[in-house]
Amino acid sequence: MKVAIFPPNSMILADMIVRSGHEPLVVQNQMKQKVTTPDIDAPPFNMTEEDPINGLKYAAIEVPSGVRGRMSLFGPIIEEAEAAIIMNEAPYGFGCVGCARSSELTVFSLRHRDIPVLELDYPTSRDDTIEMVYKINTFLDNLDKDGEEEDDD
Amino acid sequence: MSKNDNDIDTEFCHIPMGDGTYRDSDQKDKITRMIILGPGCAVSSKELLNFLHLLELPINIRLTCYGANLNGYPDDVMTAVEKARQLDPTHIFIKFRGFPPGDPRRCRAKRGGAREGFHQIEAEYKLLSEVSYALEHPKHVDLNPAKKISVDEFSNIVDEIGLKKEKD
Repeated sequence: MKVAIFPPNSMILADMIVRSGHEPLVVQNQMKQKVTTPDIDAPPFNMTEEDPINGLKYAAIEVPSGVRGRMSLFGPIIEEAEAAIIMNEAPYGFGCVGCARSSELTVFSLRHRDIPVLELDYPTSRDDTIEMVYKINTFLDNLDKDGEEEDDD
Repeated sequence: MSKNDNDIDTEFCHIPMGDGTYRDSDQKDKITRMIILGPGCAVSSKELLNFLHLLELPINIRLTCYGANLNGYPDDVMTAVEKARQLDPTHIFIKFRGFPPGDPRRCRAKRGGAREGFHQIEAEYKLLSEVSYALEHPKHVDLNPAKKISVDEFSNIVDEIGLKKEKD
């Protein structure tokens, strides 16, 4: 099952999803398409004029082009997601924050998809971190069970 | 892509990577994974590097302070990643990476200063000892948070307790 994560470049979240046999949807995979394709490989112009246009699907025309450009990266993640893990209240600098509005829009879009979503708070103590891992593992194991039940039907 | 290609489209990408190849000329079908050794890991990054070399897979391995970067075709890289993880499953973590190792746009050897993604690894590294502990002692928990009770229910409970105290 394809699981979206937020922050979309988190190592811990992506690693736990891989461990449980699911596929994490991470922004690095989207970036790879951008940076290894020769036709747009011209830094600092890795964003092409097509990207803000693609972002129009998620944000209106009066929204800054930076938000729309970022949404063109996060868009495929939102579209493909079959489940999502969102970490709230992460400190500034954790994950690819860049633009707070893009992050809000991504989380908003994930919440409004009809998919199972696990929302967590960024852990601030040892017990919270351990509890967070238990919650993620339980959520991912439940996804397996739900998937099997759907197959049976 | 050879150095003598005079095609104007390919010439555009002729920025040397430092290892005889040119930027992204051969990266389109390759993937990159970072192996990160958590605190208390049973192997050091040097041991990990030796282990990866002994696998004799056609991959590009880069030794780093936190572990290693692997670059190559997906099958080879995933084989190496899975075997490396078996060295210490609860202390070895894998991260995805978009840029190939040594890419002049990201590599600190070319730019100076820490690579942007390094700060993220630094932040997550602080949590890894607890994550490893939780992976060693797996447990299932209830994901549904405790629900709030209604005011009427609450007042009934208060009344019951009040009555009990009066009887005593």
